[in-house]
Amino acid sequence: MQIQPTIANARRNTELGLVVLAAAITSGAYVLASLGKNASIPARIGPFMAFVVVLLILAHIVVRLIARGADPLLLPVAALLHGIGFVMIARLSDRLAGLQATWTLVAIGAFVVTLLAVERVNDLQRYQFTALAIGVGLLLMPMVPGLGFTSGGARIWVNIGPMNFQPGEFAKIALAVFFAGYLSERSELIVQGERTIGPFTLPALRHLLPVVVAWGASVVVMVGQRDLGSSLLFFTLFVVMLWIATEKTSYLVIGTALFAAGAVVAYQMFDHVQSRVEIWFNPWNSYTTKGYQPIQAVFALATGGVSGTGLGLGDPGAIPAAHNDFIFAAIGEELGLLGGVAVLTAFVLLVGAGLRSALRADRTFDKLLATGLTTILGVQAFIIIGGVIRVVPLTGVTLPFMSYGGSSLVANYVLLALLLRISDSTSRRLNEVPDSPTLAEHFAIRRARKEALSAQISG
Amino acid sequence: MNIRIRHLALAFIVLYAVLFMQLNRWQIFGRDALVSDPRNNRVTIKSFNATRGPIITADGVVIADTVKVDTTLNPNDRFQFQRQYPTGDLFANISGYYTLGFGATQLERTYTDILSGRDPRQQINSVGDLFTNADLSGSVHLTLRHDLQKVAEQALADREGSAVVLDPRTGAVLAMYSNPTFDPNEVAQHNGTAASKVLNALQDDPRQPLLANAYQERYMPGSAFKVLTTAIGIETGTLNMLSTFEQADKWVPPNTDNPIQNYGKKICGGDLAEVFRRSCNIPFAQAAVVLGPQVITDGLAKFGLEKTIPFDLPGATASTFGGTAQSFEDSLALLAIHGFGQGSVQMVPLHMAAIAGAVANGGVMMTPHVVADTRTHDDVVLERTQPTAWTTPMTQATAKTMTQLMIGVVDNGTASCCLNLKNGVQAAAKTGTAQLNAEGKKQRSHAWIIAFAPAQAPRVAVAVMLKGVNDTISAGTGGKLAGPVAENLLNAALTVIP
Repeated sequence: MQIQPTIANARRNTELGLVVLAAAITSGAYVLASLGKNASIPARIGPFMAFVVVLLILAHIVVRLIARGADPLLLPVAALLHGIGFVMIARLSDRLAGLQATWTLVAIGAFVVTLLAVERVNDLQRYQFTALAIGVGLLLMPMVPGLGFTSGGARIWVNIGPMNFQPGEFAKIALAVFFAGYLSERSELIVQGERTIGPFTLPALRHLLPVVVAWGASVVVMVGQRDLGSSLLFFTLFVVMLWIATEKTSYLVIGTALFAAGAVVAYQMFDHVQSRVEIWFNPWNSYTTKGYQPIQAVFALATGGVSGTGLGLGDPGAIPAAHNDFIFAAIGEELGLLGGVAVLTAFVLLVGAGLRSALRADRTFDKLLATGLTTILGVQAFIIIGGVIRVVPLTGVTLPFMSYGGSSLVANYVLLALLLRISDSTSRRLNEVPDSPTLAEHFAIRRARKEALSAQISG
Repeated sequence: MNIRIRHLALAFIVLYAVLFMQLNRWQIFGRDALVSDPRNNRVTIKSFNATRGPIITADGVVIADTVKVDTTLNPNDRFQFQRQYPTGDLFANISGYYTLGFGATQLERTYTDILSGRDPRQQINSVGDLFTNADLSGSVHLTLRHDLQKVAEQALADREGSAVVLDPRTGAVLAMYSNPTFDPNEVAQHNGTAASKVLNALQDDPRQPLLANAYQERYMPGSAFKVLTTAIGIETGTLNMLSTFEQADKWVPPNTDNPIQNYGKKICGGDLAEVFRRSCNIPFAQAAVVLGPQVITDGLAKFGLEKTIPFDLPGATASTFGGTAQSFEDSLALLAIHGFGQGSVQMVPLHMAAIAGAVANGGVMMTPHVVADTRTHDDVVLERTQPTAWTTPMTQATAKTMTQLMIGVVDNGTASCCLNLKNGVQAAAKTGTAQLNAEGKKQRSHAWIIAFAPAQAPRVAVAVMLKGVNDTISAGTGGKLAGPVAENLLNAALTVIP
């Protein structure tokens, strides 16, 4: 049966429309921020708009060519968040804006390379233990003397040649791949091997061991690196994926209980955990020292009010790290509650699109990977936004797509490409779009034809 | 598995709904409290990146304005504008200061909305300018004159004290100088460490330069207070120009054995005009006792004592008689002493000027004020201060009699040395030498004079007070020390006030 590419075209045209909208909003915001700050139209607005539009259209074209069944919302929503984040960084510092523009280029490149490299998502399942090795290796890198270094209180940085990066940002993707691969194959074994001790049902440790080791190592390593936010993120990822894979709510309960116990132990063992919690409860006690940053953040949010001061008209520079972990407070100040809610909505849409891909997927691995990657995005954004507005204790992680930082941006575009690829693979398997051969398959076919031809000639 | 994923989606929606609610807490419900929190200096910081209008004297001298920070000279300054005070310490107690870290005082505080253009009327006027980034900063125009303020500064020289000049017809303050003073430029500098050092030193200074002794402090008035006792006596019919007092150098008031003496232990007596111009103590002590505590305190209440002076500068204090009618019932001796301005009577110099003004203005004391009007950036008047009566302590007839008595002080009384105005203009005055220490202790006295001129149609009233902090001032009298200061001020003021 010949499948018409109507659905694929409709999705890609929707995506194109939304990407152009995101580019227009970003360019408009850039002009407004410059007008607000310097009362002039930015001198480089032409090149800037061209840069934004060309990069986004390029990403779109690549999707249209090799992932045309993919969900149409993922790329534009990410692009919008990225664009607003970039405008805010540019408004805070010209120097950082230049660096972030370079990282944008690299990130879009990584997005394209990921789509090219992973043409069928279940290919990744075979590399689950490679992913585990890569993930754990990346996590350990900052601990290597001479390679890793401490910045901002956390030893999560690695220096290679001229570049600094945070390997943890990539480790989370690798570990999600491992969890998805491992659990998709063994979740039934884990459930079948359960033993009941008193009122508790415990999984067979033998089957769960690699997962526990991976999780335990990562959490311990990150606590050692004083990276509480990432510890929390990995823990949540592990519990959620185990819960989804086994469909056992008891694991969720046990996981939450373990987390609570771990939190209490960590609180008693580590000074920096205690001080984080204290600042969370009452930052006013240490207004001039540790509480300064969170309080400047709520001052900024209050200054913004409902409609914000307007781009370029606030004073977000008063918040330490406004371009990075606290970018949400800067947005809340200049774009107000309306802008803040728009950002929250965009993340909900992104999570929704990711989970929709998970729901539609018909293979366990795809489902688990989509769920895991979406959980990373959604939980990371929650942890840092919640930390900034004091819903949870502040732990330093970046706000996906928005914060300044190369590692984070590149990693999140890789994550986005994988989500796109999962939804694209599903569409092909559901016969919604023609399952055209992959590049590798093209080469294989050509080779086969040549061989057949030469066999004919020789025969 | 799909059910779990749907549950996960639900969980995410709940998590983000919590974020949404918390965001509302900061940006809507808790907003006002956060914006007005004293630790929130965002409003201040913002205003240091915007222009702020000037404060200008009646003769057109700018005493506070804003200049663009020269970033080549101050590369570390993160703000665009610097508040400066071109007249230095001359108007410090009137303009106050406007700082980054230590708030604002005086006019800089009370008129901050108009100066920075945040008053709603300035906003409404500028709807048309919405898209042109208009400068909305307003200006504050004073009744004070730079030329007269300069005369006051020079006349006081290095002596501590204050000089107040006002227009008795309107209550407009024309000059008000307090020494010690301070340079607000040093407090307003953006370098927080240096500014805080200056401010701490000023706060620790025992002479209290941050408090304007013209209107934020009060002092024993000595004989200058006899104006009030006499006016109350005439007003109630107890005293008139025919009242006579026997010559005496001692008088023992009721409830005590300690006699009251005249200044310099002189023998003093005669009719009211004579005892007033020579400033005998005994007659006024006797008058106070005859009038009684209730009549005296009622009369003083009509003069505005015990009430904070209604003034358009913050922190004005109240003059006090130092006790209630009830408290003086049991100690008439104290009432007698208070009757000639000794004991615990304390008067604010500005109030004394206003009292001279009340006599000059036919018995009506006008509300003192320093702000003439406020204006928008385009010089459109926002609010003009309308002269209002504060209180009416005496009738026109009493005021006329008081004027006669005070002319006597200038013509051949305690101020005859020092109040000979230019062009033969007649002045009226009352001096005071407030003895701070009991006999036997080191002599310390404030020198006072209150005066107005021309006596027939007064246009200017003054009060001068020199603090008795050293031997030089304490050895002199109000007439000899404060008289020349008042003379300079009256001469200067009469040439510029029509």
